[in-house]
Amino acid sequence: MKADGSFPLLLPAIAIYLGLFFLPLSWLLLESFRLYTPGGIGAAAGAPLTLANYAELLTPAFARFFLETMQISLLASLTGVLLAFPLAYWITRKLSARWRAIAVGFFVTLMFLSVLVRTYALELTFGAAGPLRPFLLALGISPNSRDYIAILVGAGLLHYIVPMATLTLLGTIQNVDPRLVDAAEALGAPAWKAHLTITLPLSMRGVLAAFLFAFTFSISAFIIPMILGKGRVLFISNLIYNRFSEIADYPSGAAISIVLFAVALAIVYAMSRFVAKQWTP
Amino acid sequence: MDDGLRILCLAMIIAVVCFLLIPIAVTVVMAFDARAYLGPLPPPGFSLRWFRQFFADDYFLRGLGTSLQLAAAAITISLSVGVATAFAIDRARFPGKEAAVALFLSPLIVPPVVTGFALLLFLAEMGLVNGFARLLAGHIIITVPYTIRATLAGLAGIDRSLTEAALVLGATERQAFWDVTFPLARTGIVSGAIFALAVSLDDVAVSIMLTDAHTYTLPVALISSMRANFDLSIAAASVLLMLVTLALILALERFVGLNRVIGQGVFR
Repeated sequence: MKADGSFPLLLPAIAIYLGLFFLPLSWLLLESFRLYTPGGIGAAAGAPLTLANYAELLTPAFARFFLETMQISLLASLTGVLLAFPLAYWITRKLSARWRAIAVGFFVTLMFLSVLVRTYALELTFGAAGPLRPFLLALGISPNSRDYIAILVGAGLLHYIVPMATLTLLGTIQNVDPRLVDAAEALGAPAWKAHLTITLPLSMRGVLAAFLFAFTFSISAFIIPMILGKGRVLFISNLIYNRFSEIADYPSGAAISIVLFAVALAIVYAMSRFVAKQWTP
Repeated sequence: MDDGLRILCLAMIIAVVCFLLIPIAVTVVMAFDARAYLGPLPPPGFSLRWFRQFFADDYFLRGLGTSLQLAAAAITISLSVGVATAFAIDRARFPGKEAAVALFLSPLIVPPVVTGFALLLFLAEMGLVNGFARLLAGHIIITVPYTIRATLAGLAGIDRSLTEAALVLGATERQAFWDVTFPLARTGIVSGAIFALAVSLDDVAVSIMLTDAHTYTLPVALISSMRANFDLSIAAASVLLMLVTLALILALERFVGLNRVIGQGVFR
């Protein structure tokens, strides 16, 4: 079969993608080179082009936010995949079919859980006014300290990453032939060594996919750092919103957006380059 | 050594499950707290006061109304456009087809804040100021890739010879489509609709850029009241949102099957 008159079916989609996606993104790119002039939404028409919006991002005050976003995202993604691996292994290998189905349902539900609910629940439980407060104070940890807030933002990311990575790894671990580990153990390898030298390397693709998913999710997270970070820990995405809501510096917001977009693209490129096709979104 | 490892792993698994569940349990318990203020656990008594407060709050109700209308409108458009697009792509054979699919799925890789910010600037430039229209634009572009992807996945599983058999047996193109291909693709279409609904009801990052003073979604209203005063009517709203999630998951399990959503391995 060839393109047999089904092209008109594509026209609505082409119109929508052009008008609501490709043109706005191109406009964003153009805006990021405009000189900032206070006023209405967007730079003044015909404002001169400049690199100032990008140059500003290289100053230490800005670079700090980028570094912090990357740092917390990286730590949360690594921890999440590290915690998810034994979980996924346990679900695939140690549970009966019935319990496995229940566990899958449990993690799918957790992954689908509204990010609002997730964030509110974590703030209510671990936040400064939560039930953990006396316990934290007894340990000498101030729930208002910057470090604690940064950890809380990481915990917010983890609350999504763990279920997501567990589900991603289920299929991967199912594809590792369990007889290989049995053979290694029969030949005298301790269980930890058998897993470290067989299960883990054979699941590396899935592990990498889960990690890259987690990292993309983390760097573009918005509500989790906005609420749990309480304005003291800000992610790149929060910075973009603040450019709009607080100081109405649209060209600067556009430049930050383009940088965040470029980082996300680089990760997706890595994913398509190093990870099997079926894992890419 | 091995026993030590096993115990360590089991302890870690229990700790992780606790970390995932305890905040949710705390939220559910606190939502039924009878006290008029945010006090320590456990609540001395239970009531529905926070649910009543949520439903008495015009600010939330207005958001809820907008969210429901918006989801209905966005899903209708995204689903019809998405299904048409997926069918066209699936039938056509042309060079660069994979690249075309990648382009149609590309909104999924753009951070939502960036999509929202780009739309904010572009729609202002185009002179579109109506809040609902702007939100609708945003929700269409974030949901349409899901409907395309799910329908394509549904179509990929269909044996083409079934449609051809119908044609050989004398069905017209139209009949073969509506009686054979479409019903077989239904699973994919339904899962696309469920995903799109979940995305539309949960979005904040795009919506927060496109609201106006009178038109805002429930998640945006909840976020701004979370920042202003951290009271328990949001816990009540959270319980309601959890019920929505559960309903979506049950629908997904009933119509699609969760195993098809997450993919399968060989050695079980």
